[in-house]
Amino acid sequence: MTTRSRDRGYWVFLLPSFVLFTAVIVVPFLMNVGIGFTRWQGVGDPRWAGLDNYTRLFADERFWASFRNNVALIVAMAIVPTIIGLVLAATLFDYVGKKVGPRAASLLRAAYYLPQVLPVAVAGIVWGWIMHPQFGALNELLKLLGMEPRNWLGDPGWALPSVMVIMVWFQIGYPVVIFMSGLQRVDPALYEAAEIDGATWWRRFWHITIPQIRPEIYVVLLTCTIAALKVFGPIFVLTRGGPGGATLVPSYFSYQNFFEKANVGYGAAIATVLTLVIIVVTVFFMRIQDKES
Amino acid sequence: MFKVRTGVALVAALVALAACGGTDQADTPAADGPRTLKLWHYEGADSAMGKAWAEAVKQFEASHPGVTVTFEAKAFEQIRQSAGMILNSDEAPDVMEYNKGNATAGLLSKQGLLTDLTSEATKRGWDKLLSPSVQTTARYDERGVMGAGNWYGVPNYAEYVMVYYNKDAFKKAGVEVPTTFEEFTAALDTFVKAGTTPIAVGGAEYPAQQIFYQLALSKAQRPWVDAFQLYKGKADFKGPEFTYAADTFADWVKKGYIAKDSAALKAEDMGVSFIGGKYPIMISGSWWYGRLAAEIKDFEWGTFLWPGNTMSAGSSGNLWVVPENAKNKDLAYDFIDITMKKDIQNLLGNSGGVPVAADTAAITDPKSKELIENFNKLSTSDGLAFYPDWPAPGYYDVLVAGVQHLINGTKTSGQVLDEIAAPYDENLADIGN
Repeated sequence: MTTRSRDRGYWVFLLPSFVLFTAVIVVPFLMNVGIGFTRWQGVGDPRWAGLDNYTRLFADERFWASFRNNVALIVAMAIVPTIIGLVLAATLFDYVGKKVGPRAASLLRAAYYLPQVLPVAVAGIVWGWIMHPQFGALNELLKLLGMEPRNWLGDPGWALPSVMVIMVWFQIGYPVVIFMSGLQRVDPALYEAAEIDGATWWRRFWHITIPQIRPEIYVVLLTCTIAALKVFGPIFVLTRGGPGGATLVPSYFSYQNFFEKANVGYGAAIATVLTLVIIVVTVFFMRIQDKES
Repeated sequence: MFKVRTGVALVAALVALAACGGTDQADTPAADGPRTLKLWHYEGADSAMGKAWAEAVKQFEASHPGVTVTFEAKAFEQIRQSAGMILNSDEAPDVMEYNKGNATAGLLSKQGLLTDLTSEATKRGWDKLLSPSVQTTARYDERGVMGAGNWYGVPNYAEYVMVYYNKDAFKKAGVEVPTTFEEFTAALDTFVKAGTTPIAVGGAEYPAQQIFYQLALSKAQRPWVDAFQLYKGKADFKGPEFTYAADTFADWVKKGYIAKDSAALKAEDMGVSFIGGKYPIMISGSWWYGRLAAEIKDFEWGTFLWPGNTMSAGSSGNLWVVPENAKNKDLAYDFIDITMKKDIQNLLGNSGGVPVAADTAAITDPKSKELIENFNKLSTSDGLAFYPDWPAPGYYDVLVAGVQHLINGTKTSGQVLDEIAAPYDENLADIGN
């Protein structure tokens, strides 16, 4: 038996996942692409509309606004948590773990991860209470400090920043956990040698920690960017895209068209564009990672 | 070429499976075997409707030996978002509560998913029991527009928007129940001068847009409502009605009648703050009535119709619909018939609901009497003007966003009116008007 024909035998083992992938990802995606070329109310016969949905989409101010908001959420859900997560993980691993003890580091790591365990609806409702303009804890606190209370989720100027802060809180535990596990595989000798050479904590962080856990950083950035692109739950629970569209994101915009407006063709077109953006982002990250490695 | 229909069937089947959670039994028994009436509704068990329909189920089972009623409690949102797909599948119930209006029941009727109930309505006398204005939401034409055509649903209760007020707070401020619009705004001014924001509002959901609509109705006549809701004529968004509504609403925020920070508040926030005595006034629908009666313990409260208006947001309640794919339509008709009977209607009325075919003498609770009398005033004077979000699918969100701009002052009245006109006109083009 040649190597080639022996390799061919392994394809059988891939068959179940291939069937599943086709049934739950490829077929629905192709259908979604197809529906995006129609005018359809969800039941009955769809009418072929060609590129109408797409021409309408690219002229739709709400669609562009939703993508602008999405960029803000990428900052809040991927970039800021990655930066804070790096510092936190390095502090926990390098300082708390060594000076206070590994138990304290594990406890803190678990505490940071807690928001990720909470169902998004629960977290959203609780934050809704905290930020309630009339009897929320945050405004009460501000009043105690003699500061002006704000309409956090109801004022268009504050709604998106408020959602961003909540998302930072929500996301932070994930990079911390990944980076800490990444740090476990860094050779301690590197840190010891640097320390002996008199490198400061910051220098060790910059020249050892970051380069050594670069693969983890890419994974976190990629998964968090994708999560930010398709964010739906927090927006649904906190603001429903409001006030006046100030926190609208593409996935919620697509949902509105699918289910609220019975405008399924248009909703499918939005979903298709969103999927393509996610694919492009993924390929971009993968390419960079491949080049690096 | 992709096969949309096959795909839809697949999606529908998945949704139905998810919705039923696998607890369903096969309900296509042999003709001589035991039968099942599959009933879905979304009213809370303690609500007036919940109580009345539980009694209707009992009576149905007593009068139909061998038939079991399988009731599944659904969430309003659950049915609202997936009704089309579920009704297009084999998992459709035999009788279901569904939202009324062009964008909901009208859309499904147009798509052939609902059974035409016209002959049953005549045979069983439902058409005689319901007043013409209540019947509007039961009938839909071939475009799915309400008010004419065949019967696709049967409403057995009604609802309307009114002003709820805290009697103790009114007494304390020396404010009488207003009978004219001027007296109403004078009362609001009195509260503002005393440092109280008078009206509890939820800007993130329906309450704010209903106040906006009430203001438009104060300048409107029936032909305006018919144009806006039934597409009988051109709805003019820059006409005096909506212009007055948008200007006055913005002005009410400026004057402090409505809190500036209410844009993100939900309907629940509005209700809870009124129940907690934080605001002396709440403008909302009769669906709050039972809840207020049950939960307000610390003060006396009452209701009055919006002063000076001949019309108010209001309509029949939700509908009983029989899906085209229902397996036991005869049983569904029998069940609907029972919910229209006097004793069930009286129970609904005495539990804080607005019955449509009750025996007025049998309503004993004085508060319920007031509620029903006010409805009758509206109903008999052709004063039910439906709801502002009905004319187009998804219009609810459009109005929420528009009114939020008015609360926050982020757009002018004119800009808001343009913003709410565009999706309305788009829908008109969609249905070929």
